[in-house]
Amino acid sequence: MTKWAVLSPPTLFLLAFFLAPALIMVLASFQYPGEFGGLAPLTDPGDGKEFGLTLENHAFFFSDWLFAEIFARSFAVAAASTLICLLLAYPVAWLIAQSPRRHRDLLVLLVILPFASNFLIRVYAWMILLGPQAALARTLNGVLAALGLEPVSLLFSPCAVLVGMVYVHLPFMILPLYTNLEKHDPVLLDAAQDLGANAWRRFWGVTWPLSLPGVFSGSALVFIPVLGMFAIPDLLGGTRDMLIGNLIKDQFLGVRDWPFGAALSIMLTLAVLSLAGAAAWLSKPKARAA
Amino acid sequence: MWLVLFPTLPVLAADTLYLYNWNNYISDETIARFEAQCACKVVQDYYSDNEEMLAKIAAGASGYDLIVPTGNAVESLIRSRQLRPIDKARLPHLKNIKPAFLNTPFDPGNRYSVPYAYTLTLIGYNTAKVKELGLPSDTWALIFEPRYLRKIKGRVTVLDSQRELMAAAMKYLGHSINDTDEAKWKQARDLILRAKPYWAAFNASSYIKELTVGNIWVAHGYSNDMFQADQDARRAGRPFAIGYGIPEEGAVLALDSMVLHKTGRHPALAHRFMDFMLAGENSAELTNLIGSGNPNRAAMDHIRPEIADNRAVFPDAATLRRLEMMRDLDRRSRRVLNRIWTEIKLR
Repeated sequence: MTKWAVLSPPTLFLLAFFLAPALIMVLASFQYPGEFGGLAPLTDPGDGKEFGLTLENHAFFFSDWLFAEIFARSFAVAAASTLICLLLAYPVAWLIAQSPRRHRDLLVLLVILPFASNFLIRVYAWMILLGPQAALARTLNGVLAALGLEPVSLLFSPCAVLVGMVYVHLPFMILPLYTNLEKHDPVLLDAAQDLGANAWRRFWGVTWPLSLPGVFSGSALVFIPVLGMFAIPDLLGGTRDMLIGNLIKDQFLGVRDWPFGAALSIMLTLAVLSLAGAAAWLSKPKARAA
Repeated sequence: MWLVLFPTLPVLAADTLYLYNWNNYISDETIARFEAQCACKVVQDYYSDNEEMLAKIAAGASGYDLIVPTGNAVESLIRSRQLRPIDKARLPHLKNIKPAFLNTPFDPGNRYSVPYAYTLTLIGYNTAKVKELGLPSDTWALIFEPRYLRKIKGRVTVLDSQRELMAAAMKYLGHSINDTDEAKWKQARDLILRAKPYWAAFNASSYIKELTVGNIWVAHGYSNDMFQADQDARRAGRPFAIGYGIPEEGAVLALDSMVLHKTGRHPALAHRFMDFMLAGENSAELTNLIGSGNPNRAAMDHIRPEIADNRAVFPDAATLRRLEMMRDLDRRSRRVLNRIWTEIKLR
């Protein structure tokens, strides 16, 4: 009884605000777009216009490689951002976990400090930092000019998008890694050392396998939001940096094609879910072995 | 559909006008004067894009007395029966509007809309750089022709808008911006793809700042924004000004009009507001604030001379004939254009 009492508010919340909208979205993806935006009616309005259900939107997606290409590119950007975040976050999380207990809270606080200011403002700050008038671009282009090379633009480039993505999502990688690393029993490392393992072996044989759950949850927390992000490519990207998030946003706020936007969203959700399923399946035996 | 707008202030309903307007599209003084005159309150909600406004209305937002959409969005609202006809008997100042801005294709006979202000989509440029590099400033070739673009590679932004960018390309190719022939669109796409490697970004949000700072030298954008960029550059004491002119091939004229939403509960007050905004001095205040084009004859006497004499804001009759207003696209054409646009963005 108590279990139900505790569980029902979140369950109801999820049903009302996740499941129901998701189902509406599925339905919308099979409807015709309305002439003036929105959706065409499901029943015959009697004015000779289209109504009911159609596969047209999904067919439109598969009618051209274009859309699949945007999916592929978005997954590549998400994968790259996740990998960079992991490489940067792991040492940070490890150092925080190794530092004296009394400093840890402060260090964790520093990691989440950027959240105190609005995300868009932080991205705008990057626009200034990467801009051609900033010290960074000037120094770099000064060096390039000295070597007789063409100047490069840092802002409005795929590189800038990656920098923005990594910067914004880094704390989401550090925190789960830290929570995991902090719990490791140092005795295990001592035992490994006693058995003759060098530092390298100790890391790959003990620390890394034990930290895999943290790696996976951190990766999911970075990968999935990056996949749907549209603000960063909009602000920092150049002329070729459209990602799936931008495409979906355009359907709703740019071209009044809700059904196609819904179809794209559903496909994105399916892609993420199957990926998460695959990751869970992959991580299970390893976690058990560890 | 499930989104309902609740009036946000607990003021007596009859005393409040709900205005759904563009960001920064009316001066505070004008509002204050109207509020004093009618002993009412004006509550504003803002949008930064017609599509954003249409999306909100399509989702069922209600309670707005007045909206100020651009022509093609007016057309879409009329055809989806969202608007209430206006009562011209209550608008004695309607005679102030120049005939060129009345009886438009999107609302023949002005049954639903009253012109408010207009914007032109044109090219803004860093005067010092354009002069130094010997570039032309009065043609779309500046953003489409590699022979010019080579000199300003990575210093050009174009609007992140399917319709606007295609319109510029169509105009440069000598077509109407409202031509929906797919072959011509593909021609425009090829023109855009040839120029794209030289552009820094598709940008609709920060080009004012980038122009002012000097990061970007040439930007495809709106006349109001160029006015602001120029003002900002002057105020910051930059060694350059931001110039802007209407390309000789013609450009997009976006006429924003006041319309009455059918769910508004204060049509009488809304009419009063419309007529108030038709008075020359009130209408001029907006132009003096943001450098917008003004369709109101009586406003001309109240507009600062440096704006009134600006041919990029108040074009002569010959140039005016080369300007076009955008029509709404049907859903088939929207999808064709959508695919072309995605291709443009990806390649």
